[in-house]
Amino acid sequence: MSDAAALVTEAVGDSAAEWDLAGWIPHEVVRGLGAKGVLCAEVPARHGGLELSGVDNGELTAHTGALCSSLRSLMTSQGMAAWTIQRFGTRDQHSEYLGQLTGGTLAAVAFSEPGAGSDLSAISTRIERDGDTVVVTGRKTWITAAAYADVVLVFGRFGTDTAVAVVPTTAPGVRVERVPAPLGCRAAGHSTVDLDNVRLPLSSVLSGRGFPLPLLVTTALTYGRLSVAWGSVGMLRACLTEAGRHAGTREQFGSTLAQHQLVARHLAELYVAERTATKMCEDASQSWDARSPDMGAAAVLAKYVASTAAARGAATAVQVLASAGAQDGGVVARAFRDAKLMEIIEGSSEISQLVLAERALLAAQ
Amino acid sequence: MTDSLAATTPTAISENLQEFLLSRTKQAWEPDVDLFASGVVSSMFAMELVVYVEKTFDVMVLGEDLAVDNFRTVNKMTDLVLRLSENSGV
Repeated sequence: MSDAAALVTEAVGDSAAEWDLAGWIPHEVVRGLGAKGVLCAEVPARHGGLELSGVDNGELTAHTGALCSSLRSLMTSQGMAAWTIQRFGTRDQHSEYLGQLTGGTLAAVAFSEPGAGSDLSAISTRIERDGDTVVVTGRKTWITAAAYADVVLVFGRFGTDTAVAVVPTTAPGVRVERVPAPLGCRAAGHSTVDLDNVRLPLSSVLSGRGFPLPLLVTTALTYGRLSVAWGSVGMLRACLTEAGRHAGTREQFGSTLAQHQLVARHLAELYVAERTATKMCEDASQSWDARSPDMGAAAVLAKYVASTAAARGAATAVQVLASAGAQDGGVVARAFRDAKLMEIIEGSSEISQLVLAERALLAAQ
Repeated sequence: MTDSLAATTPTAISENLQEFLLSRTKQAWEPDVDLFASGVVSSMFAMELVVYVEKTFDVMVLGEDLAVDNFRTVNKMTDLVLRLSENSGV
């Protein structure tokens, strides 16, 4: 196990069920991992990061996802924030913000709005320049990690382009309100973020300027999709272990469950799902590490394959464990709820399919 | 994937980009035609173009260099590559 993975194991201990039921991870646990650079592990060492490769960060993400999907969700947000700053920020902003994100400051990334989910071109939040300041106004919904965050990266209209403002949650005019009872990743701090004429220095806007929305969103989401995909692999691994352990020991009709062929098939399907998702994720992260132009499409493919496999696999694991898996907070019960959300966030399965269909058409031409 | 074409000539850069665009869009692009006005640039393709430029010409395109104007035409991208190669060429 890598050092970073060991830190996650130690931080989670046997608390994942408790965190899930409480809908909250103690702030000091999250901040502690953040301060060790674990939550955005690809950040370069010169900014205090662990400088992991995409493949190694993927394995760390899967490890975290196998233990606690809520913590893994916070990791996805922190990593996506760091990546967005790395790509679109100035050198000064790299030094300032990346140092903070590896030093215990927690971040969320805010794309979605009441009227802009899959269609992010409908974003209505405004970032308006006023001399050396900007004023941010809008409402962001279902923002993962926002309840923990010290800063929120807010995507908003900036003239005819889109800009990203790094908004401290303590700034006057910012209100963060938790989604009361999310279906899954219950301790991931999903919140509504209201921004009422929040005035910030222009230096809070990445590079102080706007960019094309598609470029911003695809760049940020490619990191997020890889992270969600690896997190889904982690869930599948946890489900496979639980289902295998149960089916190998529990006896009915005079033999273990695994000796009943219909149950053995469930195990085979879970194994195939885990292996398939892992290979897709490795392929996508290798594209990422090689800076291949295909990385965006590879990330969509990996996210689609891994999240759908996890949703199906978690349901299978609950079936195998039956009453032993039906207790809320337990590993497979959590995976059952958490995996469903993975088919929705960072590009729903249907949006992913549209991208993949485009790919198929291009290949056929 | 081609090897790095760092420190190459404007013509070579321009031709390489045109070839990439042809392979991805299935149409030819004159060096001064606006790619973004054409509607051919999907959200995925915008990022692919950036990553392709970085990988092929061994440059990093970060921060304000990611502005759409730098990617609008083959000529603009060629200028960007030459400028970034100069800056990093020590």
